[in-house]
Amino acid sequence: MEERRPPLRESLASLDKLQLVAVLALYLLGMLSIYSAGAGRALRGGELALRQGIWGVLSICAFLVVLHIGYERFFSLAYRIYAGALVLLLGVIVLGLTVKGAQSWFNLGFFRLQPAEFGKVALALVLGKHLSRFPPNDGPSFVGGLLLAAASGVLVLLQPDAGSALVYGIIAFAAIVVAGAPRKYSTGLILGGAALVPFAWFFLKDYQKLRILVFIDPWRDPLGAGYNVIQSRIAIGSGGLFGKGYMNGLQSKLRFLPEPHTDFIFSVFSEEFGFVGALLVLLLFGLLFWRMLEAGLRSKDIRAKILVAGIAAWMWFQVVESIGMSIGLLPITGLPLPLMSYGGSSLLALSIAFALIQSVYISTLKSYE
Amino acid sequence: MPDLRSTSNRRLKMLYALIFCSFLGLAAGLYFFQIMHSDRYTHLASNNRLRMIRFPPVRGELFDRHGTPLAVNVTTFDIMGYPLDIERENMVETLAALLSRHGIPATGEELGASLKKQYGPPYRVVRIVGNITLSQMADLVADPEFPQQLFPIPVWRRTYPAGSLAANVTGFVGEISEQELRTLSDSGYIGGDLIGKGGVERQHEAMLRGTPGEEYVEVDARGRKVKNLSVKQPGRGVDLLLSLDLGAQRLAVDLMKDYKGAIIVMDVKTGEVLVSYSSPSFDNNLLAWGVSSKEWDALVRDPANPMMDRTISGAYPPASTFKVLTALAALEEKVVNTSTTFRCSGSFKLGPRTFRCWRRSGHGSVNLLSALQNSCDVYFYQVGLKLGIDKLMEWGDLFELGRPTGIDLPGEVSGTIAGPEWKQKRLKEKWYLGDTVNYSIGQGFLLMTPIQIARMYAAIANGGILVQPHFFSTLGQNSVTLPVSKKNLEVIQKGLDYVVRRGTGRHAASFGVTVAGKTGTAQNAHGDDHALFAGYAPAKDPKYVAVAMIEAGLHGGSIASPMVGEILSYLLVPESRGR
Repeated sequence: MEERRPPLRESLASLDKLQLVAVLALYLLGMLSIYSAGAGRALRGGELALRQGIWGVLSICAFLVVLHIGYERFFSLAYRIYAGALVLLLGVIVLGLTVKGAQSWFNLGFFRLQPAEFGKVALALVLGKHLSRFPPNDGPSFVGGLLLAAASGVLVLLQPDAGSALVYGIIAFAAIVVAGAPRKYSTGLILGGAALVPFAWFFLKDYQKLRILVFIDPWRDPLGAGYNVIQSRIAIGSGGLFGKGYMNGLQSKLRFLPEPHTDFIFSVFSEEFGFVGALLVLLLFGLLFWRMLEAGLRSKDIRAKILVAGIAAWMWFQVVESIGMSIGLLPITGLPLPLMSYGGSSLLALSIAFALIQSVYISTLKSYE
Repeated sequence: MPDLRSTSNRRLKMLYALIFCSFLGLAAGLYFFQIMHSDRYTHLASNNRLRMIRFPPVRGELFDRHGTPLAVNVTTFDIMGYPLDIERENMVETLAALLSRHGIPATGEELGASLKKQYGPPYRVVRIVGNITLSQMADLVADPEFPQQLFPIPVWRRTYPAGSLAANVTGFVGEISEQELRTLSDSGYIGGDLIGKGGVERQHEAMLRGTPGEEYVEVDARGRKVKNLSVKQPGRGVDLLLSLDLGAQRLAVDLMKDYKGAIIVMDVKTGEVLVSYSSPSFDNNLLAWGVSSKEWDALVRDPANPMMDRTISGAYPPASTFKVLTALAALEEKVVNTSTTFRCSGSFKLGPRTFRCWRRSGHGSVNLLSALQNSCDVYFYQVGLKLGIDKLMEWGDLFELGRPTGIDLPGEVSGTIAGPEWKQKRLKEKWYLGDTVNYSIGQGFLLMTPIQIARMYAAIANGGILVQPHFFSTLGQNSVTLPVSKKNLEVIQKGLDYVVRRGTGRHAASFGVTVAGKTGTAQNAHGDDHALFAGYAPAKDPKYVAVAMIEAGLHGGSIASPMVGEILSYLLVPESRGR
């Protein structure tokens, strides 16, 4: 099934423009907020924004390369890509053991690479290929698909990065459901997951338990773990309808807000741009999800549908979790808000994912006999 | 499989619906906080009522081996305030004026600059002025213009009773820098904290530091305390008893006079360092209490380099003190024995080059003992050639030359056992036999620190054990037993005994203690030769090893060896003191 690659110019012309606009708009709003968030910290805002800008340029290059290669080619290499991702995930664990103290990144001199971010794309890809070949209709294929996904999930959990492991679980679940697993299997997964919660409690680190406890009652520890939630809520709530204006967010400038440029970027943004700004971000994400899922729906390729479902579920979970935790509706996990939080690996992995989905979209425009 | 496609599509649409619903939920949550309860959070934001007062930890104190204080704490007062209060009114200027009126020099600019350095959230109290004495403080608070939002807290300041006598060992503390803050942010330091900046203060920071106390309070809009939320008392750091002997150290300072250089004395069996003086020294009290950047620059840029601890950071040619290693290697490798003799005519010809002995008229027929005694260069040239550079370096490596000794002070350099590979890399030149000749008498490219020389002589004195030099013994001192025969060591010891009895080191003998050791005169490309003496005492049952390195001291025999003799006698023959 050798296919001739369309020239890049042709691909660019047939991109889903709405999706592209949503992505770029969210990235730019993120840059504004990163600059503002850093400004309270000895004028490091410019430096942070510059770095994020460099990552943006790298991400655009990655986007173009992936788009040019096309998603079909990625599927044909899916197992190998996944195996590569597993090796990298194992690599950071081994490195973490040797340098004493866990870490989730490779230090490449001037920047750090987090394999867990790229693993998400690899997982969505390999599940698309595997589950379309062995649909999870019967016990063995269902379990096989689960085990395949568990390989990477467990490695991420061992890093230990419980938040990202949760994302891996969500990707796998969405992929298995969209691949046509019978209802009893999917409900079984949900029930099984719920049954594991009490056990998981024992494996959580003290600080993680505290995060969940203060989620239930932030005033339980207003100066320690609950402090973040309280201060973030104060930031967002005091933003009001129109916000305090760009660069005027006192909660971030006076450094009440912890981790303003990463975990709590949404709090920085909505303190300064208010409810109106927050709704704009939600609308842009809504637009983005609509266009992503549309590509999956239009595609005739089951693999592509599963891929889109996995990627959309990943991003959805992070968006809801990041915004939810900053208003104290969900426990703190430290997951970045896609496209807006400071962080190069996340941005790069997302742009690869967007390129794959755009490639799926372009393929639906071709006329079939 | 068309039905699978429609199933997938149906489920993708379900995901769609899920996303839509969750977004509605988020929008509702945002509406709740940003519209319905906006007033409440605006109020909370403007009245962030949390305040934290941090009590700096009481730092552990330093003492010498007899309990004489080397670094102690004295009480002073800091005037503290909250950034919000300080910013609200023009408090900095008011306070500066008040201070000057009471005879404490201060300008608003200076205070402002120091405040800027103490990054931190606004609920955390910061220091506006430090180092106020008790009487000054009483005077200040009695003034009706003293701003009520500010308050004094007692703090410990570091002083060094021994001052410049042992500044290279004790080091000093200073305010934590922005860079240190960044790298140590996980250890609970904050801007304004004191941290060890050099010497033992820096090396044993973790033990000395103690734990800060914290008091969280809720305050009203004027910054007055409403109630205590939590209090944690500060924890005191560990006091350290160092192996240093301040009396002997003081003698070393006197002996050094205005020379530049280093004197070090170490216990040959335990590696405890009793004396470590680097000249010129500096006054660490000035540094601990804060110096202006101008004064700091003057110290750092001083060409005499007082901030460099020459005992561990000065790398010098070991010169003739290295001959013991050449001799020991030759005996161990069976290149010579005690009856092997060479003729010294005052010079040695190798190809077209002529290498001179320091004694132009020559030493005549010399064996190993007389060669050590008279420091005959020609003897060692020939032994070095017979050994070869590889063996010489092998033995240097065995004595761990070219590596830091691991003494518990920051800034130790490793010196270098520069051989053919080093020369090729650094100078892009081949190694010549002439280089080996120079190497065998400790000249040329070879560089050692005084502490490395002391450690090498300790190993010769104690029967072949490479001890771990230290000021404060922690568990796991690792000493290495070298594979050398007792018999050969005894030969070397005898040679070193002769050096002082009737050889080049005679001047070390006139202080009432039997010293064995070796002189050295290191060629200095930048000026007069460096004088060196390394020796231990008592010669029969060695207890201490001492090294004196005098920059531009010309002759090891006349300048350095009496210093070593006098200081060893001070330690071993208490009756000789105060003579």
